[in-house]
Amino acid sequence: MSKIMTVDVLSSIKGAQPSEAVNKLFDVIKNAHPTDNSLNNVNYNCVSVNNLREDVVVESSAMEKQIILENFPNKKNGYLVVAKVIED
Amino acid sequence: MESQIKKIHQQLVSKQITCTTLVQEKLDLLKQNKYNSVNSLLDTLALNLASKVDAKIANNEEIGLLEGIPFGIKDVYMLQGTYTTASSKLLKNYKSAYTASAIQKLLDAGAIPIVKENCDSFGHGSSSENTIFGAVKNAINPELVAGGSSGGSAVNVAKEYTVFSIGGDTGGSIRQPAGYNHIYGLKPTYGRISRYGLMAYASSTDCVGPLAKSVEDIRILLNVMSGKDPKDQTSITSTEISEKAILNNNIKTIGYFKNFIESEAIDPKIKADFLTSIEKIKATGIKVKALDFFKSDILVSTYYTLAMAETASNLSRLDGTNYGNRIEAENLIETYAVTRSENFSEETKRRIVGGNQVLSQGFSDEIYLKGLALRDQISENFKKDFEEVDIILSPVTPSTPPKIGESLKDPHAMYLSDAYTVGFSLGQLPTLTVPQGTATGLQITAAKNNDELVLKFANFLKETI
Repeated sequence: MSKIMTVDVLSSIKGAQPSEAVNKLFDVIKNAHPTDNSLNNVNYNCVSVNNLREDVVVESSAMEKQIILENFPNKKNGYLVVAKVIED
Repeated sequence: MESQIKKIHQQLVSKQITCTTLVQEKLDLLKQNKYNSVNSLLDTLALNLASKVDAKIANNEEIGLLEGIPFGIKDVYMLQGTYTTASSKLLKNYKSAYTASAIQKLLDAGAIPIVKENCDSFGHGSSSENTIFGAVKNAINPELVAGGSSGGSAVNVAKEYTVFSIGGDTGGSIRQPAGYNHIYGLKPTYGRISRYGLMAYASSTDCVGPLAKSVEDIRILLNVMSGKDPKDQTSITSTEISEKAILNNNIKTIGYFKNFIESEAIDPKIKADFLTSIEKIKATGIKVKALDFFKSDILVSTYYTLAMAETASNLSRLDGTNYGNRIEAENLIETYAVTRSENFSEETKRRIVGGNQVLSQGFSDEIYLKGLALRDQISENFKKDFEEVDIILSPVTPSTPPKIGESLKDPHAMYLSDAYTVGFSLGQLPTLTVPQGTATGLQITAAKNNDELVLKFANFLKETI
């Protein structure tokens, strides 16, 4: 696979191209001059490691399992069928 | 308007109406409606729950305030066993395996879900036209858009097909349709209501919120849905807001953003009406300050840069492997690509591609990281503003709702129409649309976690303008 990945590959959308309407938005950011980059509040919403919830396995209800199976796109002879995987 | 929840509660308790009749009436209205506000009706579930409420009342058992109250849910919330489509082709036949925390709290309080409501697909839009269920029509003038993305929810409340609805607001998706359809719509402080079970659009600004016809109903619903949830680590603890706490205004200073009002893009009538509202507020003795703020194009571009980056990441899970309308191709990678190309709308694809552009090597420093830095500055600006004023008042939109079809022709114009809502999303601030002051209402914003002040000022405005 090429080292340069185009947006259609990155997005898994066939033939996708950057749009003019969106590029106009990005041009505004490119030309903006943030006055102070030192605030560095980007992680403000992160949860502290000490505050993480317990890593426990919660058993799904029978109803939940049944709906998950119902939602599966492809089934054959009682098996769930995944897309064909071919290594590049 | 008085509290619809309290009014209906009283009618149920005094046996003026039965819950089954009430729910059936609303279901009939929804079924017959021509506004494209409905994705699916929850008739069997709703009538079953209604008969249980009637049985309790017949046995002279006490019922809670929300018990038996019919409500709508934007079709991006999980409700176990119901179709949850996000108004998209990809999830047209997807059923929720579990229930969102906010919706579960309403169910626990006895409220009855009756409809999954039309919206822009995955919340991507400001007009509720980007949907496979047909463009939602404005409740006041059906030739105009309902606004978005929670357009179906706003119309259902405005037409009284639902007593209240639960929308989602990432950059204005509750506040703008509330304004376009002349009702109340609240985006609470980010994290006050758990996002668990809300399909993620842009996780750092996604908010759950109510749309209703009175401030009191908004207060009741906010209290029921708020609270820290172990299933959403960004959720926060908050205190209940009492009815008494928001009755008497003690707000002394408010502000508004000069550049919002001096902008060339604002409709002259909206500008004049906004300034008239300001004068009426001043006349009560409240001090009004004109504040400096970021230019609208910076706000819109910062918001969309970050929202697109987050949605590109959040929607990467939608590949048709475990659920969704998978389209088989010659191998796995092709299957992903064809499934996503065929099933996502043009607007959703535009946002995913935009997000991957700004996150990719060579662009992230120039755009994405700069967007994050701008967001920090916007938040810092708000912090300083709220040292000077208690409330910031703004129009909801620069102009009145466009005709159906116009927004789809010019996506850039649609993005710019969010100029007055997106800044408060980036700041994660509580903001309420009230159906007063301008043709598309007014936004009341307070400092983070000060949702109570927003409701208090909304009560004050009812008597003032």
